Amino acid sequence: EDLSVVGSWSSLPLHKQYEAPFWGEALPAASGGKINVNLTTHNQMNLGVGDVFRLLGDGVYDVAMTVADYAVADAPELEGLDVPLLALTADEARAMVDAARPMVTDIFHDRFNSHVLAIAPYPPQVVFCNAEIAGLDDLKGLKVRASGRMTAKFLEALGAEGVNVSFGEVPGALQKGTVDCAVTGAGSGYSAGWWEVSTHLLPIPLGGWDSVVTAMNLDKWNSLDADTQALIASKVASDFEAPAWASAQGALVNDIACLTGNGDCPAGDARGMKLVEVSDADFARAREVLVGEVLPDWAGRAGGDWAERWNASVGATVGVTIGN
Amino acid sequence: MIGYVTIGLLGLLALSIPVGIVLFLLGFGVDAFFSPFPLIRGLGNLVWSTSNNATLIAIPFFVLLGEILVRSGIATRTYAALDRWVSWLPGGLVHANVATATMFSATSGSSVATAATVATVAMPQAEKLGYDPKLFSGAIAAGGTLGIMIPPSINLIVYGFLTQTSIPRLFLAGLVPGLALALGFMAITVIICLIRPSLGGTRRVFPLGDMLRALLQLLPIVLLFTIIIGTIYKGWATPTEAAAVGVAGAVTIAAFFGNVSRAIFVEAILGTVKITSMIMLVVIGASFLNFTLASAGLGRELETFLDGLGLSPLGTILVVVLIYIVLGFFIETLSLMVVTIPIIVPLVVAQGYDPIWFGILMIVLIEMALITPPVGLNLYVVQGARKSGKMSEVMLGTIPYVIAMLIMVALLIAFPAIALFLPSVLGG
Amino acid sequence: MEEIVLEKLRSWNRRIAILTGCVLMACAGVVLLDVLLRRLGSSFGGTDEISGYVMAIATSWGMAFTLLELGHVRIDLLRGRTGQIGRSLFDLFAMIMMAGTVTLIAVKCWPVLARSLANSSRANTPLETPLALVQVPWFAGWVWFAIVAWATLAAALLLVLKGRFEASEAAIGCFGEEAALK
Ligand code: NA
Ligand code: NA
Repeated sequence: EDLSVVGSWSSLPLHKQYEAPFWGEALPAASGGKINVNLTTHNQMNLGVGDVFRLLGDGVYDVAMTVADYAVADAPELEGLDVPLLALTADEARAMVDAARPMVTDIFHDRFNSHVLAIAPYPPQVVFCNAEIAGLDDLKGLKVRASGRMTAKFLEALGAEGVNVSFGEVPGALQKGTVDCAVTGAGSGYSAGWWEVSTHLLPIPLGGWDSVVTAMNLDKWNSLDADTQALIASKVASDFEAPAWASAQGALVNDIACLTGNGDCPAGDARGMKLVEVSDADFARAREVLVGEVLPDWAGRAGGDWAERWNASVGATVGVTIGN
Repeated sequence: MIGYVTIGLLGLLALSIPVGIVLFLLGFGVDAFFSPFPLIRGLGNLVWSTSNNATLIAIPFFVLLGEILVRSGIATRTYAALDRWVSWLPGGLVHANVATATMFSATSGSSVATAATVATVAMPQAEKLGYDPKLFSGAIAAGGTLGIMIPPSINLIVYGFLTQTSIPRLFLAGLVPGLALALGFMAITVIICLIRPSLGGTRRVFPLGDMLRALLQLLPIVLLFTIIIGTIYKGWATPTEAAAVGVAGAVTIAAFFGNVSRAIFVEAILGTVKITSMIMLVVIGASFLNFTLASAGLGRELETFLDGLGLSPLGTILVVVLIYIVLGFFIETLSLMVVTIPIIVPLVVAQGYDPIWFGILMIVLIEMALITPPVGLNLYVVQGARKSGKMSEVMLGTIPYVIAMLIMVALLIAFPAIALFLPSVLGG
Repeated sequence: MEEIVLEKLRSWNRRIAILTGCVLMACAGVVLLDVLLRRLGSSFGGTDEISGYVMAIATSWGMAFTLLELGHVRIDLLRGRTGQIGRSLFDLFAMIMMAGTVTLIAVKCWPVLARSLANSSRANTPLETPLALVQVPWFAGWVWFAIVAWATLAAALLLVLKGRFEASEAAIGCFGEEAALK
């Protein structure tokens, strides 16, 4: 069985440490040579991030993985998978994702003609600021670079101004004040040198956990025999999803140590960003904004019974209910 | 596969099928013969997401800006002014060609537009003053290539877009190598004209008063450069936005210092739409070809090939340089960049090289491709403006400047700081 | 007859190109205004998103104009060394390739729009632009390009069959790159 697989960003640890070894080596080996994999990544193919799952559904390739947030143009209900600030630790994020999985499976089935194999985390999307901030409230009035629609809406609801800047331009934009703050993974920010141009780090997942969905074209999936399906399903859970989640919390702690110098940094020299503590009052207010504005807004965008399904699954896990 | 694609590329180009269409056809071929997957189903999405792109809108903006400068007469007067300042050197007016090209490079993002501008205003002077047509036209073709090295630069924008590197940093990195190349062009002209004075035409010395008055004519260009680069480095505008600011600046300056009329405006707009569509057909075609090549495993093929050579980082760079020189003979430059960047840059960066530095190195090689036959757009641009004489004269005339570019390549490899010093000091 | 068709195509596309250019100018104006507003502490938001749509639409609608102005770069290496009939054959072959490819592109662009319509897709941005709204004019531009390409090919073919090689060369010939880029 030949599988063409399109991975997520080739430069990030998720691909290098988990996707590439799993699809490139572990799965073909486990199949005893029955499965051959042809692996590339969407950035190596120069694909627009919004096209990855569209083309998967069209059968251009067999397996694809990318951030669920990139696909919300075609499926606004998918935003509910990755709501900012509801999960503060990797365990909580995993519980949220597990609760959301039946919904995600349905969404991918209906919208992208594909079968969900796994949901793995990118590191949580934290906030780098080149401005004096003491808490969440101080984001009010600042220009913040966000990625993803729900994060942008959330920032707007907090009184910040969303600015669109590509990843590569963020350091320059921070330095010159085109933006005051920017949201990205702590590890990405460390390796891209954002600590050079920002002073304060708000270590909370304001941009959510950027869940990466791995899915297979549905026709391809249905064409596989039951044994192969079972093999792929069990291997992807044990050899890809589980280790990726297991390292997520540790990676966050390490990355924050690297950026602030509070603790050991295995990745290189530790830097001296100021760590901003987030108070309980901050969290309470953020939740209020989320529950009062951002989530009802999303429920309207998604339409149908998505809000009820979300309440019964993800909402129940994190203790949040979207009102009517 | 690399072999088949290269042969197919050369064959289809030789049949004089439009370059953009050739790239699509090759993509269809790769899909049909080398990929087990129906890649063509992705065609529509690729066309949409390649052209729905806020970064690339800098292309029409810069083209429009250049059109306005040429058609309003500002270009002609800049040339005349620079003539007053540099024609005393051995080589005379040849230096004015390089100097004018350098100045226009600072406002134009395109080499071909820069060469066209200088050729239009310079060519009438060559015969009048008895210049050797080879060196004279060679200097225009080569000087024009600075358009993509000295910021702003459409090619650097495309490089930054494809490699996710900072465009302002790339612009800063290109400034010193661009000016160094300009000086190199002038130095090699001086050397040649000292050996063979007959090539250089008449040296002319102008009175100081003339020279000082001429400075006034440079004002519009200096002003425009300051506006464009200033807004980028003040952080007021992104490079794309600065291109829009530049258009507004050019219109204002042209209204103030030159001619603008409804007719000139319409011509400028039509020229802009024409060139933009031409470039975009090539960019979209290259993007589709690249998609099929990547899906068919070109990256792995190339990686295996380079790994098989077992090269050191320096060895890798030298092989890459060689690849670009050879491909540069045949392939149009924007396609060359778009096709190779996603494959070559990750390999080079994996060897520990700085992507900003490599971007600048690549631009020198691309500049070379613009003046090496058989496919060298600047050669054709200059020949077109000449209207008489043989094509081969222009090709011979660029040889000294190709040598200057090779020296620049060696210097960049030996001293990466030439490119990286400025961005590291000024940030950006 | 053929020349009337070509003349009509040229004049329509010239008007379309002027309109396209004006849209680009307007876009530059909006970007400039946004830069100024940002200095004053406010912003439209979303100008880059709009610039992207403008680029996609302007690109597709400018293609046919460029075709008729002989603006799509061709390498005139062998073609220029053959006689008049040889050149016509080169030109017709290139035109067939072009018309065929562009038609395929237009056909393959339809599913993109169709899916946006089916999913009521909205851009993944705060503006939430309905994608169909901007993809309809983009798609129409490619369809127009395909129509113009076939019409031009047919006209040129008739000219060649009538032995009017110079007229055909004026319609689908090759100015060489220099003319394309000025
Ligand atoms: Na330039
Ligand atoms: Na060349």
